[in-house]
Amino acid sequence: MKHLISSTAMLMVTTTLAYAQTPAVPDNLEKLSNFQSTGTTEFTVIEQKGEFADGVKKNLERIKLPEGFKIELYAIVPDARHMAVGPQGIVTFVGTRKDKVWAVTDRNKDRVADEVKDFAPSLQFSIPNGPCFSKDGFLYIAEQNRVLLFPAAEFFYESPDVAAFNLVKKGELIPPEHESFNHTARVCKIGPDGKIYISLGQPFNVAPAESLDTFKEHGIGGIIRMNTDGTGREVYTYGIRNSVGHDFHPVTGELWFTDNQVDGMGDDIPPGEINRQTEAGQNFGHPWYGGGSIRTTEYEGQEVPVEVVMPAVEMDAHAADLGMTFYTGNMFPARYKNAIFSAQHGSWNRTTPIGARVMVTFIDEEGKATSEVFAEGWIDENGEYLGRPVDVAQLRDGSLLVSDDLAGALYRISYEGN
Amino acid sequence: MRSVMLAFLGGVLLTQGTVAGAQELAGDVEAGRKKAGMCRTCHGIDGVGRIPIAPHIGGESAAYLSRQLAAFRDGTRTHEMMSVVAKGLDDQAIADLAAWYSAQQASASLPSDKNEDMAPAACVSCHGADGLATIDDAPNLAGENAIYIDTQLKAFRSGKRKHEIMSEIAAGLSDAEIRDVADWYAGTKLEVVPVK
Repeated sequence: MKHLISSTAMLMVTTTLAYAQTPAVPDNLEKLSNFQSTGTTEFTVIEQKGEFADGVKKNLERIKLPEGFKIELYAIVPDARHMAVGPQGIVTFVGTRKDKVWAVTDRNKDRVADEVKDFAPSLQFSIPNGPCFSKDGFLYIAEQNRVLLFPAAEFFYESPDVAAFNLVKKGELIPPEHESFNHTARVCKIGPDGKIYISLGQPFNVAPAESLDTFKEHGIGGIIRMNTDGTGREVYTYGIRNSVGHDFHPVTGELWFTDNQVDGMGDDIPPGEINRQTEAGQNFGHPWYGGGSIRTTEYEGQEVPVEVVMPAVEMDAHAADLGMTFYTGNMFPARYKNAIFSAQHGSWNRTTPIGARVMVTFIDEEGKATSEVFAEGWIDENGEYLGRPVDVAQLRDGSLLVSDDLAGALYRISYEGN
Repeated sequence: MRSVMLAFLGGVLLTQGTVAGAQELAGDVEAGRKKAGMCRTCHGIDGVGRIPIAPHIGGESAAYLSRQLAAFRDGTRTHEMMSVVAKGLDDQAIADLAAWYSAQQASASLPSDKNEDMAPAACVSCHGADGLATIDDAPNLAGENAIYIDTQLKAFRSGKRKHEIMSEIAAGLSDAEIRDVADWYAGTKLEVVPVK
């Protein structure tokens, strides 16, 4: 790491890390050299100009937004999934369902990325879908079955040999025999309590009865939380099918999350969900409920053995609500303050596709939530997807980034109605 | 999907044929193209996967495709999405879909810094050095997402997925060896020329 320290500023960062922030780091630190390394020290750099980028830009002309808003191409990022915007505003990290994490940099601050390259190319990732940042600049990456921690990632990412530590060792996030691929796109966020919250989808359409005890124990089909030193792991949320997006209300601190509901029950049921959790340990109904108050065929007529919290908002069936963020910026009109922006990935086998939109959910003073479409147009007249939004994140200027894993791009939505 | 819903509402399951049934039927490429509308969001209409969890199936052998769809239907292979889709398919639909996707022309190549001698020895006789299968019973692996191959090998190793040859091969592989194999094939390049 020594060669990275090229200025006094960097030295100060290192010093801070070594002393002031030590308590926040797990004590079982393992240096990068102890991880399985790919031996790669060269970056993969993604071309940002040219025909492909022009094609994506052309598709964006079809996107409809409320008056005063505009959407533009921010970056070409292959397989772009969940995003973590660096607290210094220097770099945005983007996860994938493959084996890369992308670092997206807007050096000249013209709100278009100048450089996209892979983060920590010498590390071997497995479904590094979920990056998240702590306020003090620690980057966490939730993978299929591991959680990595990168101190001061925003400063050190320029090197291929960035320092990496285990928050949760490989094979210890879930028992390896329950690993799967599809419902394995983890997301993480740091809560107002300073703990890291990690979603763990369960690997079935409807979880079978014989798996429920094991799943409950590990928080599979739930959200777990732990201290940022890796201690104090507990299951915070139960009864989830496959949540791929959560965030904390900026005022109340309550956890809100999306959940993807059961397939194979028809085009129009069960509804998708945005949920609100008011205390630890609540259960949101899977597998007894397939979404909203619709009972699953597999558990039909059976008594529900737990108290179930119904969704705060029922979303369109099969639209696939994924990433979400509360809006805390100052750029958008006042009505959007503390509203939820969320991405719908779009249905995969509905007769007529639905979704591929950005939704906005307003929460009134009594806590009642209502959703409406914010950005749409990624399904063409032939029912073909031109893009599939995955996650929404806020840049420091109050504009929004939207990731799209079909086009392989990030878009930026800004407001110019003032 | 509508037929699946009707079947559930009526409380009757669709008549399910046998694996042999689907394989003996002659598939109709054009009928398969129409039915592939339900596959294209994930596998592409040309069989080039559009999402990382969906394998490339364009140019796969019809026998392999039929067998997998039948396995998803009868529950011997399971997946959050494919188990749902396959439930709604009858033998003819499986034969037609297999005919459509196998009609696509797949070719594969190695990256310039690799040669055939570097390919994983345990795999090449069936899957080829470049990931283009040499027998009807094996899938193409060219250009496949490493995590997909990794997941399948681990499923064979744990017994979640079974195959007379693959179960045995996977049983002897460590996590690191599995990932090496996966990375080899992920590094090869697949090209699919769609049929008109």
